[in-house]
This record gives sequence, structure tokens and C-alpha cells, in this order.
Amino acid sequence: MAIVELQNIRKVYDTKVAVEGLTLSIEPGTMFGLLGPNGSGKTSSIRMMIGMTVPDSGTVSLFGQPFSRSLLGRIGYLPEERGLYKKMKVLDQLIFLGQLHGLSETVARQRATHWCERLEITEAIGKKTEELSKGMQQKIQFIAALLHEPDLIIMDEPMSGLDPVNGALLMETLVDLRREGRTVLFSTHRMDQIERMCDGIALISRGKLMLSGSMREVKSRYPRNRVNIAYTGDDSFLRNPAIVASKRDVGAAQLQLVDETAAQPLLAEAIARGTQITRFEVVEPTIEDIFIEQVRASFGDAAAEGVTVDA
Amino acid sequence: MPKNLQNIWLIAKREYTERVRTKAFIISTVLIPALMGGGVFGVAAITRHSKTTSHIAIMASEPQPARDLKQELEHGEDTSMAVDLVAPGNGETLSREIAGKQIDGYLEIIQTPDSDGALHRPVFNFTPRSSADIATSDSIKSALQTVMTREYLAAHHVSAEEAKALLDPAKVNVIESNGRHADSKQSFYVAYTLFFLMYMVVLLYGMNVARSIIEEKTSRIFEVLLATIKPDELLAGKILGVGSVGLTQVGIWMAAALLFATQAGAMSGITINATQIIFFIIYFTLGYALYSSVAAALGAMTNSEQELQQLNMFLMMPLFLCMGMLPVLITSPNSLLARIVSQIPFCAPLLMNFRISIAMPQPWEIALSIGLIVVSIFAVLWISSRIYRVGILMYGKKPNLPEILRWLKYS
Repeated sequence: MAIVELQNIRKVYDTKVAVEGLTLSIEPGTMFGLLGPNGSGKTSSIRMMIGMTVPDSGTVSLFGQPFSRSLLGRIGYLPEERGLYKKMKVLDQLIFLGQLHGLSETVARQRATHWCERLEITEAIGKKTEELSKGMQQKIQFIAALLHEPDLIIMDEPMSGLDPVNGALLMETLVDLRREGRTVLFSTHRMDQIERMCDGIALISRGKLMLSGSMREVKSRYPRNRVNIAYTGDDSFLRNPAIVASKRDVGAAQLQLVDETAAQPLLAEAIARGTQITRFEVVEPTIEDIFIEQVRASFGDAAAEGVTVDA
Repeated sequence: MPKNLQNIWLIAKREYTERVRTKAFIISTVLIPALMGGGVFGVAAITRHSKTTSHIAIMASEPQPARDLKQELEHGEDTSMAVDLVAPGNGETLSREIAGKQIDGYLEIIQTPDSDGALHRPVFNFTPRSSADIATSDSIKSALQTVMTREYLAAHHVSAEEAKALLDPAKVNVIESNGRHADSKQSFYVAYTLFFLMYMVVLLYGMNVARSIIEEKTSRIFEVLLATIKPDELLAGKILGVGSVGLTQVGIWMAAALLFATQAGAMSGITINATQIIFFIIYFTLGYALYSSVAAALGAMTNSEQELQQLNMFLMMPLFLCMGMLPVLITSPNSLLARIVSQIPFCAPLLMNFRISIAMPQPWEIALSIGLIVVSIFAVLWISSRIYRVGILMYGKKPNLPEILRWLKYS
């Protein structure tokens, strides 16, 4: 049984197609990354998952049942646009949001206090939101999404605007939650986050699904044809015809080869030309590489450049 | 409690507690009645007790009636002017004094040969410094009237006492149907105060609903809320919560007014009765519900307070219409026009309530107006909740009319 299942959903705003024929399914107990550049339809898809907007066509199922509002109590949602009542005290706010999710005041208060300790923001608890830093507000909202112990946690760009320390803290928390058996779905345009943490991914661009599946599955579809190289001296070996694309820095390069077997001959050639090799590493393509390749194949080079800028 | 009622309750409770706690609530609870009541009664008191204090000159060939007029203007009931008596032919000097702002005007009395004080009066020419100074010329006019009449009566051997009695205005006792003496001026001021109180509070709390929607929109909190509750629940909770704050405030005022009426009412002559209070609360509740439903739609359509300001007129215009209708209601509260405008749902809360205060309309009129308001509330809520449902998730662009119409069909 899939926790979230989208079947061929489509959403059009006026003349702009936000999501087009999106199909994906998320398995229970996994961490799922929804990946795509800004404006690609991530938020629109998430809003349809939680019934905030209704798809023009296609179906949404949650927890193996067709969508109904009664299932929303099992979902914790962190919207992309952060928002809290500015003049309200943090604890009151958390209790209020917990109560809306059906908790009693006592339970909401206990859990809110506990979570504030866990995320190291106990000092904020008696303050008004407007007195807090942006990062703290984000943590509060993160807590608000988790108070009712949801089975499915949906977070739209959870890391945006956080410093690395706090970003890591939230990521750790998400990993813990998945270990407890909860399903986590988050969207991001930062490919490196997905790479490290996700079991499953979906890449979307311009409202269309580029690819989806488990991380291993997606990566195994692509050959280990990337080489990271660091060298000093003669760089004429970089004119080798087996190199399809390259990104060069001073004394280093990231190369894409025609296939996996071209790596050894390339190394041999470099040594033969007397270049000093300090590092030579054959790697599988990163999710970012795969994504750019997909976008290029679907929409052409210009669009792929756009992805690189966003990522 | 069913889930949706509980959600409405939670939203309403939050709106209520957050608002009642603010300083703004406490300040407005004290200040609004102070300003309203103080304003209405203050203006009344000032107009009643204020005396004209202009400085004028009288240029006359005969000592009478100039001397009497001087006496009347300097020590009359409504005037305490400074008056100089000047011999004729000083017109130029006086004009110079006017230009130099030493005097506010001068009156020239020209006796004609056949003036006898009754059929043929002297000619009075008044040259004021500013022709807009109506108060001074009015005072002179009425003082002249008194002086001339008094002189004529004296000439015809009517005693001074009798003359004074004749010149006093006739007194009319206003007696209520229950036989008690009433001060019609006071009850009029009470009705007036209630009118403006309702006007202020309906506008204030209607705008509060719109502002609270915009606040949730700009702070984006509603995205979290909408993930658990329906837009309709959010809207209902908001209107109830903000409305309860308004009711609380009105309740405090009414309790204070009752206390004031029982304690100090007897001596000040101010009477506010239970009927007035009950109808005030009924019509306030209905009026607030109607206007806040409109305000909710306005809030959902806009993205900022500034944009809301531009749409304010939709709330203000019916209220202005009510204000414009006040003179009609005061002069003839049971005329056809008064009856019709006090049935218009957007005006009824204010106007029907005003009529109830000054001249009780037929029961069926009251029932009809309440019925019409209730129907309108449902109609407006139906439209507003649709606009709200769609508009709340839209930001950036202000919708145009065709788009808003599409929203009505859409959800």
C-alpha cells in the first residue's frame, strides 16, 4: 500500500499549466524527495495532495484510500511560505495549532514544550513570534507540523533560509522520524540534500515528471561514466575524444565520458603525456547531473542551463 | 462536539482572546463612548451656552433705539458683545477700524421721517467685517426685534413686566405616553449617540475582520490552517470571534450606560431604557454580521491594507447613506421615505434602530427589517465564502471583476 498515490493529476491556473499528468507513489516508511527547480510545480503538487486545491483531472489517494479530509489529521504539513501569528506567544500558537489537529490542550502543551527542548529553542517559548529570528520561526513551524504525531510528514522546502547548523538539526530530526516508521516527503531544489537522505525521489520540471523511483533504481539506470580528476602540468589529455562534456577548474576537472570503459585509457593517456595526477576518481552521476541531463533531453539546452542556476 | 464546530470554536476563541487582550481594545472601549457621548453632548452644551462676543459699533442719529440695543447686545440672554455708540457721519472711520480688525462690523440706523416703530421701522444697515459672520448678524436681528417690540409696547403703556412676559418664548411640556415628563432634547441626543456608536462599531469590527484576513494572508499562516480545516470554518470562526469582541465591547458600554442611567440619570435627565438597549444589541449583531461578511470578501480579494483602503468605500457608502437619511428621519420618522430607507438591509440596522429610539415604528416594520437583514446576511455570506475560498490562496495580483465572477462559479 502506498501512503501517497497520485494518478495522472493535472492542474491549470488560468492559462498556465502548473502540473501535467503527474503520477507518483510513495511507499510507507520512506523518505521521499520531490525535486525540481523553482516554479516547476512542486508546491502545486503538494497542495493537491492535501486537498488545499483540487486537481482538474486525475486522482489523489492517501493511506490507500481516495482523498478525504478526514485523512488530513494523519498528515503534518510545513508550507513553503512560512507563516505564524506575529503577535501571538509561541506556546499559545503551538497549542492552538495542536488543538486544530485534534489534540487536547494539555497534550498539546506537553508536546510543544518537549519539542522546543529537542530543537533547542526553549528560550523562545514565552516570546511573541515577531521577536524571533527567522530560523527560530521556522523551527516553531516545523514543530507545529509534528505535534499531532502524523504518519505522513510533508515539508515544502524545509531547509530554505536555515543556516547549516540548524539545517542539519532539522534533517537529523526528519531522519529520526523516518526511523520511527513515519513517511517523510519533502521538496527541495537542492539536489545534494536529496542525494544523501532520500530513499525515493521524483524529479519534476515544468509541471512534468522527469523520472521517479528509488534512489538506487534511478542511479543504476545511468552508467558510472563520471570522472573527477586533479592534476598538475600538461592538460592536453583533456582533448581525448571519449570526453563528452567537461567542467574545468584550475588543475581539476569533472568529466563525462562516453561510457565506463573509457576511464582507464584516459588515465593511461594522461600518465603517458607526463601529467601529474593527484586524484582520479570514477563516480556515478549525481542526481544533479541526471536531472540536468533529463531536462536537456526534454526541453533543450537553454532549460538545462536554468536548472544549473537554480541548483 | 463535531469536528467542524470544534474548529470554528477554536478559531473564534483565538480571535477573541488575542483581541480582547490588546491595548487597542481597552483604549477603544474607554475612548469611543467618551468621544461619541462627549462629542454629541458637548456640541449640544456649547451651542446652548455659547454667546456671541463680537465687537461692533452702532451709528445712529437718535439715542433710541441704539442705547436699548446696546444694552440688549451687551447683556442679552445669548449675547455678550462689546458695543460702541458712534455719531452719524463716521462711516469712514468705522470702515478703517474694520480694516484694522478693531471692530467686527458696524450697524447704521437711519430714521425715516415717518418711522413709528411698528408699521414703519427705521432702516438698519449692517456692515460686517466678514459677510460669513452669520452669528453676529443673527444676534443683532433678534436683539433688534426684542428692542423694537419692547419700545413699542412701552409707548403704548404696557408695563415692563407684562412686556417681558410677552416676549418670553412659549413653553411646551413634552409628556410621554406613560405620563412622565420627558426631555425630548435629551432623548434625541441619546438616539443620536446610539446611532453613531453603532456606526463606529460596525465599521470598526467589519474592518477588523478584513484586516485579520489580510494579516493571515500576509503572514501566510492560513496555509497551515487550511491544511487542517476548511475555508468556511475559518471564515465562520473569524466572524464569530471578532464579532464577540464587538459584542463584549458593546455589552460593557451598555452596562455602563444602564448604571449611569440609574445612578445619575435622574438628575441629568438622560434616559436610556431597556427597549433601546435590547434593540441596539439586536441591530448591532445583525449589522455587524452583514458588514463583516462584506468585509471578509474584501479582505480575501486584497493583499494588503493599502489595497483594502481602496475598497473601503463598499463598506462606507451604505453607512454614509444612513447618515444622509438622518435629517429625514428626524423631521418625519414615519414618512414613506423614512419607512423605505429603514428597510434597506444595509441601512436598517442603523436607521430602524434610530427610529425605534425616537418614534416606535409598527411591529411588522421591525420584523420585516430583521427578516430582510437575515436574508441578506445569508446571501452575502454565500458569495463571500466563495470569494474567500479562492481568494485566500491567491496573492500577488488583484483580481478583476470577471475573475471574481468566475470564482463564484468555481468552488
